[in-house]
Amino acid sequence: MMSDQQIIEGCAKHDRKAQQLLYERYSRLLLGICLRYAGDRAEAEDILQESFLKIFFNIKDYSGTGSFVGWLRKVAVNTAITHYHKNLKFRYHIEIEEYVSVETGISSFEEDFFTSDELFKVLNELPAGYRMVFNLYAIEGYKHKEIAELLGIDTNTSKSQYSRAKAAIREKLDKLGKLKSRYFGSE
Amino acid sequence: MEDNNEDRELRELFRQKLENAEVIPSASAETLLMRRLGRREFLRFNPSRFNIWYIGGIVGTGILLAILLSSGPDSTEKIKPEEPSGRTIIDKSSDSADITAEKPAIPDNVEAEKRIRDRDTAVAADIRSERETTDNSKNSTLTGRNEIIPSAGVTGTVPDKDLFRETASVKDKLQGTIQPVEELIETSATDGCAPLKVKFRNKAGSYDACRWTFGEGIYSEESDPERIFDIEGEYKVTLSVFEAGKLRSVSDVTITVHPKPKARFEISPENAVIPNDIIRFVNYSSGAVKYLWDFGDGNGSEAYEPQHAYEKFGKYNVRLVVYSEFGCSDSLVVMNAFAGSGYFINFPNAFIPNPTGPSGGNYSAKSDEAAQIFHPVHSGVAEYQLRIYSKLGLMIFESNDVNIGWDGYFKGHLSESGVYIWRVSGKFINGEPFTKMGDVTLLRN
Repeated sequence: MMSDQQIIEGCAKHDRKAQQLLYERYSRLLLGICLRYAGDRAEAEDILQESFLKIFFNIKDYSGTGSFVGWLRKVAVNTAITHYHKNLKFRYHIEIEEYVSVETGISSFEEDFFTSDELFKVLNELPAGYRMVFNLYAIEGYKHKEIAELLGIDTNTSKSQYSRAKAAIREKLDKLGKLKSRYFGSE
Repeated sequence: MEDNNEDRELRELFRQKLENAEVIPSASAETLLMRRLGRREFLRFNPSRFNIWYIGGIVGTGILLAILLSSGPDSTEKIKPEEPSGRTIIDKSSDSADITAEKPAIPDNVEAEKRIRDRDTAVAADIRSERETTDNSKNSTLTGRNEIIPSAGVTGTVPDKDLFRETASVKDKLQGTIQPVEELIETSATDGCAPLKVKFRNKAGSYDACRWTFGEGIYSEESDPERIFDIEGEYKVTLSVFEAGKLRSVSDVTITVHPKPKARFEISPENAVIPNDIIRFVNYSSGAVKYLWDFGDGNGSEAYEPQHAYEKFGKYNVRLVVYSEFGCSDSLVVMNAFAGSGYFINFPNAFIPNPTGPSGGNYSAKSDEAAQIFHPVHSGVAEYQLRIYSKLGLMIFESNDVNIGWDGYFKGHLSESGVYIWRVSGKFINGEPFTKMGDVTLLRN
């Protein structure tokens, strides 16, 4: 069993074995991140590959201080943002769904009521712009100002997209919750 | 406050479940990644592994050796790059000599002048002799070459003759700007924007065969080929002309293909309310230096990120055309830019009034599950006028409030079952007007 440090050193020398080990160790976690930012599984795997190519070729940039996983995470998120920018032109082809009437049926979420698969699906179904902002703000914990810079948008746009994303997610969760409690009777 | 709590809850839910969620990648993702990695590694310089740098090194050494070997002995056959220059001069003189046997050959003079300018007046005599040589050889079996010329041209007038010849040929080789050579190729354009379509014409006159190469292993044996350069860059196009089984001349021309800029923008705010909102156009274009906006209402702008206030709601096609420094352009149009709001109003085609008495028409989605009120499902309605007519054309109901529907009663009496006609008009909150008509069946139980 190689330690992270050994793997990093191996990757810095472009050792094929170390690269493979790095992939085996972290691809699942990074795919989890990519899937949050992608519209579907195929797109997520595209971003995953891009991320790993970046990691393999820029591993020297990892300073050695700070968490290695944190660094990997950052590369994946940045790759997802680049990917989003590349596909920006096609965003106009996406039908914008209706998210207006939100009757907040869910006031509190019971833990473990929703599975992570379901949450992934909820995110995947969001329009790309909402998804980016929601991920960056709610999960990665960036500030709206930072998100605005990363995505090249206005701070207010980031804020409004976030609240819209929230409304959309709420509605989806609400629907899903009703469906589930009808079938499982757990409320 | 409650909103903040809810916000935190939602964030916690996603963070807990997804921040460290692991998803197993498909096997194909790994194979694909390893293949891409292999390709990238191959392009990277790495002394311990066989890669493109080795191939480059081997090819480079090979070329160097070939040059050294060929320029070593002073043989005429091996110096290929000089062959075309010698040959083309002969072409020219034979062409012009045919037409202007008694007149001075003008192209030659021009050419001679160029050479004089380039080098030294002392050489003028030599060039004249060069021309004489080529003139003499015009009917012979085309063996005249630069290398022969000096031996014929050494008249003692130019002492450093050999020295000059060397520098000239080296110069020709390096710059590749041998005047007569280019003249075999005529192009419709030598630079332009990607994708650039170029028509090539072979001006060689009579020959047995020719071959054009466009780089990247693409070639054509047509006389006048046509080619589209999709990707930006400089392309060296060469034309080889063969005659009597031998290479007669090689000419080349460089085609410069400029990159195409990309026009991209977004409209902010989303779901804008017109005419109240000032619209901002967020520019995401790349590779451009000039921007032309058409807001679709007769107004435009050349600003990078303009703002615009529309006077009234309408179908506006917003267009951005961008130009690069080379004048290449790209455009993006968002058709009917402000209609994608998602606001709607729809009516049912039947309802069953409550037989126990009029209700006044107030309704909500929950209270009217039995469909006792005729009312729309709607979103974003700001102005509203609904009128319902009987089959005889009598108006029996009117409402200016979208939250009040028809309970089926007219002047306190339950209306007959049957078909009624309705008409609605109004505006959504973004200013977009709507008008709809239809019929509804009143059922009684």
